Amino acid sequence: MKKTIYIFSIGEIKRKGNTLCLIKENGEKKYVPVSEISSLMIFGETTFNKRLLEFLSSNEITLHIFNHYGYYMGSFYPKTHYNSGFMTLKQCEHYLDYAKRLILARKFAEGSLRNMLRNVIYYHNRKGGLSSTIKFLEDASLKLREARTVEEVMAVEGQAKEQYYISFNTIIDDAEYHYEKRERMPPKSRLDALLSFGNSLLYVTVLSEIYKTHLDPRIGFLHATNYRKFSLNLDVAEVFKPIIVDRVIFTLTNKRMLDPSCYMEELGGVYLSEKGRKNFIEQYEDKLKQTISYERMRVSYQRMIRLELYKLEKHLIGEKEYEPFVTQW
Amino acid sequence: MQVDLPYTLCSSKPITGTLVWYYFICKREVWLMSHEITPDEDASALDIGRAIHEIFYRRMLKEVSLEGIKIDLFKRAERAACEIKASSKFIEAARFQLLYYLFRLKEYDVDADGWILIPTEKRKISVKLDAEAEQVLLKVLNEIKEIARLERPPPPIRIPYCRRCAYKEFCWA
Amino acid sequence: MFVIMVYDVGEERLPKVLSIGRRYLTWVQNSVFEGEISDANFIRLKDNLSKVIDKKYDAITFYILRTTAYLKKENLGVIKGESTTII
Repeated sequence: MKKTIYIFSIGEIKRKGNTLCLIKENGEKKYVPVSEISSLMIFGETTFNKRLLEFLSSNEITLHIFNHYGYYMGSFYPKTHYNSGFMTLKQCEHYLDYAKRLILARKFAEGSLRNMLRNVIYYHNRKGGLSSTIKFLEDASLKLREARTVEEVMAVEGQAKEQYYISFNTIIDDAEYHYEKRERMPPKSRLDALLSFGNSLLYVTVLSEIYKTHLDPRIGFLHATNYRKFSLNLDVAEVFKPIIVDRVIFTLTNKRMLDPSCYMEELGGVYLSEKGRKNFIEQYEDKLKQTISYERMRVSYQRMIRLELYKLEKHLIGEKEYEPFVTQW
Repeated sequence: MQVDLPYTLCSSKPITGTLVWYYFICKREVWLMSHEITPDEDASALDIGRAIHEIFYRRMLKEVSLEGIKIDLFKRAERAACEIKASSKFIEAARFQLLYYLFRLKEYDVDADGWILIPTEKRKISVKLDAEAEQVLLKVLNEIKEIARLERPPPPIRIPYCRRCAYKEFCWA
Repeated sequence: MFVIMVYDVGEERLPKVLSIGRRYLTWVQNSVFEGEISDANFIRLKDNLSKVIDKKYDAITFYILRTTAYLKKENLGVIKGESTTII
């Protein structure tokens, strides 16, 4: 599987000798094997030119930019090479036909809920005290079936998530990560900082996988299409957040892998520092590579995301109804 | 392009050589390909095949393209269209792919012979488009058109080819 | 798979070998590359190299690991290059 490269260094990224080269401030050159990478995530102050973008495009590499606070800013999503007019039309049809859109919106929310539930059940069995959350999430799954609008689906999912985040106070052993209320702009607590960073990484991972399929990332179903450039990746990410991002957060916090220097406070917000981001990314990458067995195949979580997109494609062409991936444990 | 040609799909695109080849391997692939739902190119077996094609046959390749088809090599002196394959495993599929090329060439008044070249086995198999072969080919083309016209792809069937197929994950996810 | 490539080639062919290596693997120290590589790219790498080396004088060896599960790496002195994904 091709790799994602995370660039924190300051310098210039260039095409050099038919491969990629990062020339750091001190003049040190670091070559990146172009044939073995699928995306670049840029965190550091770097410069690059049109020639580099052309080179990335011809190698089918996506590039994603994050700002000083680790916020996702945008992507260079090269001319797609998996094109199917038929698939695009089907995707539009499932958006424009409200009944069809609602079915998919429910499925994504259902996947999200059921995976949240898996996490809560796992920690309930180990630590106890979460039966009310379990009940709440189970009820929410039922309510989901009755939701008549996409907004209702969103609302049910939002309330469930709120209850789920409260359970983090039991799951995470460290009082530093007490959950009160989810705040995004800006993140107010360390937990907010971890969630915001992790979720944006996942959005980008899913986007990079969408690039390798015939789907159009601009047409989402749960997340409305009109407001953001990309929205399908947000939909699919909902299913995987509990299994990938939240579990990385549980590991990082419960194993005390983050110290105060992993955070920075600026302009009334709490953010991960460069060190914190690197720690997070290491665990996140490990999680993406972790494999599970699925349908007689050995599949990494990263690959599971791709399979999820294939399942969605099959739903769109009317072959097989989409069922979100729900983890077994 | 006129729609009533024997090799025009309902999407008004011509049938490709690959499509004829896949007809003999997996009908589902024919449907997917005809809807431009192309397989995962990073899938290892497909990529290895491509690497081998690039490297070993590069010197031999002198591609000739017509709408929808790509002939690996055309030997002028012998008036022979050649298709290069890595093994003789799917020889029937290769034979019809080549017959289809000969059929298309005939439209341009090029009456050519066909050779399937298998360098790894040092084999050369001659293919001729006679009246009988043409009849069978026309039937195959027609069935390809029928498959492409289906509203949904034929359901996946597990065959030995699946193991190395680039659609494996798509079909079985 | 994971590959370690070790080479000993004539000085005049060195730049070419370096430039091909960098496209597929990560430079670790003089005359050594390493990294994850797909089966297809490994075929391409070997083909590219065989076109620039002088087969009578140059030597290139590949150590191939199906998985890195049993690979343990130790360093003494300076780390000149590493195949990391965070740079």
